[in-house]
Amino acid sequence: MSTRDDTTDVRDVPTERDDQPLLKISNLHTYFRTDSEDVRAVDGVSLTVDPGETVAIVGESGSGKTVASEAITRLFKSPPGYIPEGSIEINGREITDLSDEELRRVRGGEVSHVFQNPQGALNPVYTIGWQIREALQLHADVSKSEARERAVELLTQVGIPEASSRLDDYPHEFSGGMKQRVLIAIALACEPDLLIADEPTTALDVTIQAQILELLAELQEQRDMGMLFITHDLGVVAEIADRVAVMYAGKIMEKGSVEDVFETPAHPYTRALLDCLPGRGGIGGIPGELPDPRSPPPGCRFADRCRHAIDACRTGDQPGMHRVGDAPDHTTSCVHFEPGRDSSTVLDAGSEPAGSPSPPDDLERGGRR
Amino acid sequence: MKWYVIRRVLWAAFASFIILTITFVLMDQVPNQQLMQAEFQAAVNDVDVETAVQAEKERLGLDRPFHERYLDFMTNVFQGDWGWSYEYDQPVVDVVRETVPYSLLYGVPAIVLSTVIGTAIGLYSAVNQYTKKDYAATFAAFFGISIPNFWFGIVLLVVFGSWLGWVPIGWNADIPLAADGSWTLLETAGSDHPAFFRQDFEGERYVGILSPANLKQLILPTFVLMTGAIASVMRYARAEALEYVDADFVKTAKSKGVSNRAIVTKHIFRPASIPLMTILVGRILGLVLFGSYLIEVVFGIPGIGLASFQAIIRQDTDLVAITILLPTFVAIVGNLIEDIMYAVLDPRIDYGDR
Ligand code: SF4
Repeated sequence: MSTRDDTTDVRDVPTERDDQPLLKISNLHTYFRTDSEDVRAVDGVSLTVDPGETVAIVGESGSGKTVASEAITRLFKSPPGYIPEGSIEINGREITDLSDEELRRVRGGEVSHVFQNPQGALNPVYTIGWQIREALQLHADVSKSEARERAVELLTQVGIPEASSRLDDYPHEFSGGMKQRVLIAIALACEPDLLIADEPTTALDVTIQAQILELLAELQEQRDMGMLFITHDLGVVAEIADRVAVMYAGKIMEKGSVEDVFETPAHPYTRALLDCLPGRGGIGGIPGELPDPRSPPPGCRFADRCRHAIDACRTGDQPGMHRVGDAPDHTTSCVHFEPGRDSSTVLDAGSEPAGSPSPPDDLERGGRR
Repeated sequence: MKWYVIRRVLWAAFASFIILTITFVLMDQVPNQQLMQAEFQAAVNDVDVETAVQAEKERLGLDRPFHERYLDFMTNVFQGDWGWSYEYDQPVVDVVRETVPYSLLYGVPAIVLSTVIGTAIGLYSAVNQYTKKDYAATFAAFFGISIPNFWFGIVLLVVFGSWLGWVPIGWNADIPLAADGSWTLLETAGSDHPAFFRQDFEGERYVGILSPANLKQLILPTFVLMTGAIASVMRYARAEALEYVDADFVKTAKSKGVSNRAIVTKHIFRPASIPLMTILVGRILGLVLFGSYLIEVVFGIPGIGLASFQAIIRQDTDLVAITILLPTFVAIVGNLIEDIMYAVLDPRIDYGDR
């Protein structure tokens, strides 16, 4: 399978990391068959996660971030979903061509998932003890009593009080936040190398959100586990991630360390997203709509909503990943950052939401962090 | 839990009571056969009709006030005295006792098989939703539901009985019985056994419920009853399972590394089985009882369905009442079992104890 792609060749950028990445996604595509044309949910995404590192994928709903995260262990419904192209390596092993049986060992073993909605994510007719034990026994040859002990340990680690007395409780006896803790315990049961957390706090109360984020960060540190964190919330990214990838319409628009991306947001889409954060002036989001995922227009996918769009944006493919400033890993997919062009047209522009005239009373204009 | 069960039992008792009361009132309105007979006799014998009817009324206790008769009726029902069948010329209880086993003979295998097969097809169909396999199963189910039982029975009888001669056309009610007329599983009998009436052969042949001859004559009725039942079960099972195929907890299970088979059997079937239980016990029982009417008429099986059918045609009032009451009580008891099973199986049910 091809591992190179002219639009997303981030590996051109030299890195200081010489150890093997835990997760290496190269030029991943994930399409869904429909009666007419395929829906291109993920359309050439490349990304790495190192051991012990947290990488966030951020984007609006419909950007393909969830599909990208589920494509790693092929969790999406298939058919209609399929991976026409791309490579996914875990600890150096290619997993896109694994059989179902082999993939089952990866799921819950090397790679675990935590999903958005804890309410429905536990089977209502089994005790939580049963559900943790199931995860344990699928990947290790443990006796029932050993598994029970281990389950108590896990529940204690994720902050469930009096864990041993709660093993025989059913999911409906837990609150949403507690359910998410149980699900995290299940995900961690077999000591995964990589935890994929897809909006794990979105469905929870604000106070609980902070607790769960803290718990995840803590557990990750203890276990030196890699984490891929999917979110639409840049505020959460700033809190938890080391690196961030901004996704739009199936493609990555910008990626880099969290400091770099928040200090010097390069891609017009990232900049618009940042402007939408509370306290940044802009309200209501970015005007315009995502392009049709069945037949995306040529050129930059963001062109219709971009106020910096020029003719070059509407031809050819999505622009390649170009370096932003001197930061080693900070790249963006925008023509203005092509060598020879003046990136300051974007970087020095005001921060009013793309495409809309700025209201005169917008006091926060131009304010970058 | 205990209180929940007690409450449910009380409800079932109350429902039975209401139904019995309604039955009594209705039967009170129907012209009484014995009175009509007395009237007829009086006319034939040329005695005073009025006096004869009055005498008969007194003999039967029909002249007593409504509430006394009502009390009598209720006591009788609970003591198992369900009236007299004029057609069979024996107590209704005995008619029921003699005919029900024949209905169970093909009804029980039909219920068990259709539940197992229907559920399996339904699950399979749901897991493969919108694939060709699913369409094929759904189409077959649609077909099974649309075919009228009695018509299908006749067609099969013509094809396999008359044309191919694989199964007997007439139903032999003596085959599952021993020579003395009692039920037997399997034994041998000579040509003097009533089943072999007017047949001459040397040695012995098998008789009894499990005898080849009996199984052979059960195949078609069982099959006909099953087709409709399988289709209904399949549709319910598919709809139930579909609710869970895309459930978040199924995704969780998948992400844990659970195999596809275990996902279907443990994570989808188990939660789906709870509502299915409700549907199956109630509906399938009803379907089978209802379906048995015409099946027994078509195949000539002397079961409760045929008895009821003839009772209606010949206005054998007591027998009609009981053959209609019986399924009702089966349904009430079925519902009760269902609810209790539901409570045991589904941890989410709040029993409202204390
Ligand atoms: S490539 Fe053009 S359209 Fe795309 S973000 Fe850059 S300026 Fe906007």
